[in-house]
Amino acid sequence: MSTQKPIADKLLWETLERWKRSSPELDRIKFLKTVPFFNELSDRQLKTVSGILFERKYETDELIFEEGQPGAALFLILDGRVAVEMHHENRTTTLAILDRGAFFGEMALLDEAPRSANARSLERTYALALYRNDLSQLIQRDPQTACQIYRALARMVGDRLRSTNQLMRTAMSTDKVSVE
Amino acid sequence: MSPDQDFEEKQQGRKNRRRVFHLIFAILVLISGGFLIWKLSGLVAPIIVGGLLAFLFRPLKDRFKIRWLPHELQVLCSFAAIGLVLLFAFDTVRKYIPDDKQQLEYKIRLKYKLNEEYQQLVMKSPEGKPSMLMTFVQRQTGPLMDKVNQLLELDQKEREQFLRYSTAYFVENKIVRYFQANQNTRNYSAPEEAPDAAPTTTATVVAPIGPPAAREGSSWEPWILAPLSFIFLGFDNGQIRRYFISLVPNRYFELSLTLLDQLDNAIGKYLRGTLMECTLVGVTLCFGLILLGVPVGIATVIGLICGLVNAIPMLGTVIALVVCLGYALIAENVEPLIPGLNPNNLPLYVVILVGITHVLDDVLFQPFVLGSAVNIHPLVVVVAIIGGSLIMGLWGMLFAIPTVVVVKTAVETLFRELKDYRII
Repeated sequence: MSTQKPIADKLLWETLERWKRSSPELDRIKFLKTVPFFNELSDRQLKTVSGILFERKYETDELIFEEGQPGAALFLILDGRVAVEMHHENRTTTLAILDRGAFFGEMALLDEAPRSANARSLERTYALALYRNDLSQLIQRDPQTACQIYRALARMVGDRLRSTNQLMRTAMSTDKVSVE
Repeated sequence: MSPDQDFEEKQQGRKNRRRVFHLIFAILVLISGGFLIWKLSGLVAPIIVGGLLAFLFRPLKDRFKIRWLPHELQVLCSFAAIGLVLLFAFDTVRKYIPDDKQQLEYKIRLKYKLNEEYQQLVMKSPEGKPSMLMTFVQRQTGPLMDKVNQLLELDQKEREQFLRYSTAYFVENKIVRYFQANQNTRNYSAPEEAPDAAPTTTATVVAPIGPPAAREGSSWEPWILAPLSFIFLGFDNGQIRRYFISLVPNRYFELSLTLLDQLDNAIGKYLRGTLMECTLVGVTLCFGLILLGVPVGIATVIGLICGLVNAIPMLGTVIALVVCLGYALIAENVEPLIPGLNPNNLPLYVVILVGITHVLDDVLFQPFVLGSAVNIHPLVVVVAIIGGSLIMGLWGMLFAIPTVVVVKTAVETLFRELKDYRII
């Protein structure tokens, strides 16, 4: 990937943009830099991404999304804590508890398949949402940025698949030992 | 009572108060919104037109986005380019729009030619005895001709203006003679001594000469809002959408995003398809008229008008036919580019041209550009057009179908998504 930028971008517009940016926007860009999902993006690319994010506020115990609903957005936790839970035979299993900087619901960026778990805020939570079709439209406007985000997404999905495989392997070997 | 229960009760009370507040607020917004729309109805059409144009041109704006150029500068450049093109187009078109004097002359010439053509159609046989068919046609079409003649009638002020104009400038003698012969008799007959005047028609006016029809005051000031709303909506970089989404409760957040997106997609597809279809119809008619010998400027203006009215289903073709036929009747010294065509039969060729364009529109343009974007029942189309014309006249007719499309798509998508999100 080329890191060269147009000279005008570097000298003029970036300075102007920095001067123009409001403080909340700078804060948001700073936050996005810390998220592994976007850590390969430049400031300009992060500004573009920040422009398509929606900020949401959830009260304690409020459902962010429900299992079975069609997924449409990925959520990043700006502040607060979120529990990812699954209901099975009247029992609720907490799969993970996520806090600042973590993200969830990433599969919604790939397809419209129903959500596989519930996401519930454990305290007052501020989250940023990235809508699937906004990311698709970014391919037209800024293909490089969109491509980097999709690559990061693919890496995350790959990592999670590998951990699932590892878990399966461990579970299978445990079963084997117990059978023996 | 435990502190937990107390807290729960307080929360429940707050929830109920919030619901009541939201309900009252929504009712107030609806009432004041309705009142404002009713009071400022003159501003609605320009704002909608500007908004629609911004919506239609949005993909173009996105496509030519330059990443390193600030958004505001890009939008300003685009508007400057669009403004220059529109200025040039308006300046070109303006030359071919008849002024007040020409309008008077065209009115009289159209009346003269219409009566002349009508007389030729219902002409008596050489023996002087009209055929039974012609008598029937004459009886059926006579009242219609009366109505048309009444429509083309000049009021007292216009008559004086035309007489002043005809003496000061050169106006064809036969037209002036025809006008002078008929301005008092009002039976649309040309003087017999005039060799080139129109023969006497049987159509007579029964209606008394009334006072000049009160013209509706047409104010163009509100239309300044159209380019303004176009520019401000063009500057929008998703802020409006984000603002409305921020008002939506969390429970409906993803649903609203999906809903807005699907609506935008369906309505955009329909409106851009219609724009493309109208452009194709306008270009076809313009090209056909040029082939028939109509000057390029006039053909362009007629093509523009016919393309615009083509947005009105069913009636669009009829209006286009009236406009083209109107011009064909008053046009003189036309030399068709296609060899072998008789210039005297221009009205007939124009009817054929409009027919061919209509068939092309039905068979080729509509399926190609619109596809099955939105299917609306013909009865709904008719009712919507009549309703639109009753509420807002020509603009109502133009906006009737897009409004039906918006409502239909919104309702369908809303119900589907509400079910998908298990809300209903």
